[in-house]
Amino acid sequence: MKKAYDIVIIGGGITGCALGFELAKRGRKDILIIEKEYLTSGATGRCGAGIRQQWGTVLNATLARDSTYLFENLEEYTGYKGDCGLNQGGYLIVAYTEAEWTQFQKNLELQHGLNIPVQKLDPQGAKEIVPHLNTEGLYGATFCPTDGHADPFHCTFAYAKGAERLGVEIATYTEVTGLRTAGDKIIGVETTKGYVQAGTVINASGYNASAITKMVGMEVPVYPERHQILITEPVNHIQDPMVISFHYHFYCQQTPHGSFIMGIGDPTEPVSYNIQSSWKFMEDCATQVTHSLPILKNIRVVRQWGGLYDMSPDANPVIDEMKGASGLYTVAGFSGHGFMVAPKTAIIIAQQLTGEKPDIDLHLFSANRYETGELLLEPSVV
Amino acid sequence: MRIEQHPILEFDRKEKITFFFNGQEMEGYASETIVAALHAAGVKELGKSPELHRPRGLFCAIGNCSSCLMVVDGQPNVRACVVKIKPGMQVELQSGKGDLK
Repeated sequence: MKKAYDIVIIGGGITGCALGFELAKRGRKDILIIEKEYLTSGATGRCGAGIRQQWGTVLNATLARDSTYLFENLEEYTGYKGDCGLNQGGYLIVAYTEAEWTQFQKNLELQHGLNIPVQKLDPQGAKEIVPHLNTEGLYGATFCPTDGHADPFHCTFAYAKGAERLGVEIATYTEVTGLRTAGDKIIGVETTKGYVQAGTVINASGYNASAITKMVGMEVPVYPERHQILITEPVNHIQDPMVISFHYHFYCQQTPHGSFIMGIGDPTEPVSYNIQSSWKFMEDCATQVTHSLPILKNIRVVRQWGGLYDMSPDANPVIDEMKGASGLYTVAGFSGHGFMVAPKTAIIIAQQLTGEKPDIDLHLFSANRYETGELLLEPSVV
Repeated sequence: MRIEQHPILEFDRKEKITFFFNGQEMEGYASETIVAALHAAGVKELGKSPELHRPRGLFCAIGNCSSCLMVVDGQPNVRACVVKIKPGMQVELQSGKGDLK
């Protein structure tokens, strides 16, 4: 680490690494990424790694669509020698209530307007795509064949290595302990490895985002919420798409290796840094998934783990410069869908910071929406 | 092959029963695991490795290593070294990682 950098990015997840890469690609020099532990050690490395373009707001759908295009060539784009593991098996989103089905028709119209190739399916059509789907109580489904999943580790390393090649420095096992300001301008970052001056600081620390902004006396409404995932033994390939239900809060997909990976949200989950595995999750997840996909009733669970969403009150991120600390930007609060929108989001923020005209207007993600009450409610989250 | 006499251990083999291996009738004792009965009948290849499809036999014999995963009564990935045979049980070699039914 040097004594001074132009830009310091806090957080070595996919958001921080993609930002470092995109900024360096636009010619910015003297960039440092600070990571408390190792790259992907936060939400990125514990996530389900789904890539879904079927969103209910134009902004999220556009970000996910453009990010999907980037994921499709991420190795070439970043100059990475590994395989980012993109598998476009589609997302089958199943509707179990009339209200949900009505919402899906609205979403479909919005998605078609953005050239996202989503199909509307009746229960029989859904069964043709996933033959072992239990269609009892099903109103219908939507299916986007270019949705899928990728390897969150390789994707992050692709950006990190690409960034390093362009001169970005990455300091792992370095924790931010304070921020220094002069007047209302950010001037530096205190870390466990010493103080570094910084012209701009980007807070991409996920569920730690509010802890970082508190260092300069500011609040962002981003808080940690445990979500758990379990993975089964591998079996021969039977399921292409991710099957997902917002009504029952579950998702389930088969990885290229053959394991089924699945999760279920718990609406009673408290705000906490707890990432312990729970029996309740195992039981809830198994009960729901074996009801919807009965073929999985005899498959064995190999392991389960917990991770933290960086939740915000409207399940959408805060992407904004902090009032009262100019030069401090927060890019966090992605609420469980940060991985899938990171590639495009990083480009837009890099465009904003380098004076280019941004491809997409992100003002709907401004921090003051929580004060004005103009929340960006996303109807399609697990 | 079975050990008939042992200086320390005694074997209560229980009654003789029949089961099926790849559709072929086999005999074994009710106290035996699937792998023990198959070995006694001369069957040592229990499956193929998932990537290179090379023969796999008994390895850990305590249900840890995944070397003897077989299809038992239609259920894939059964650890044949720790599951006992039952009368009429259908044991089959597994293809790949196993098919859910």
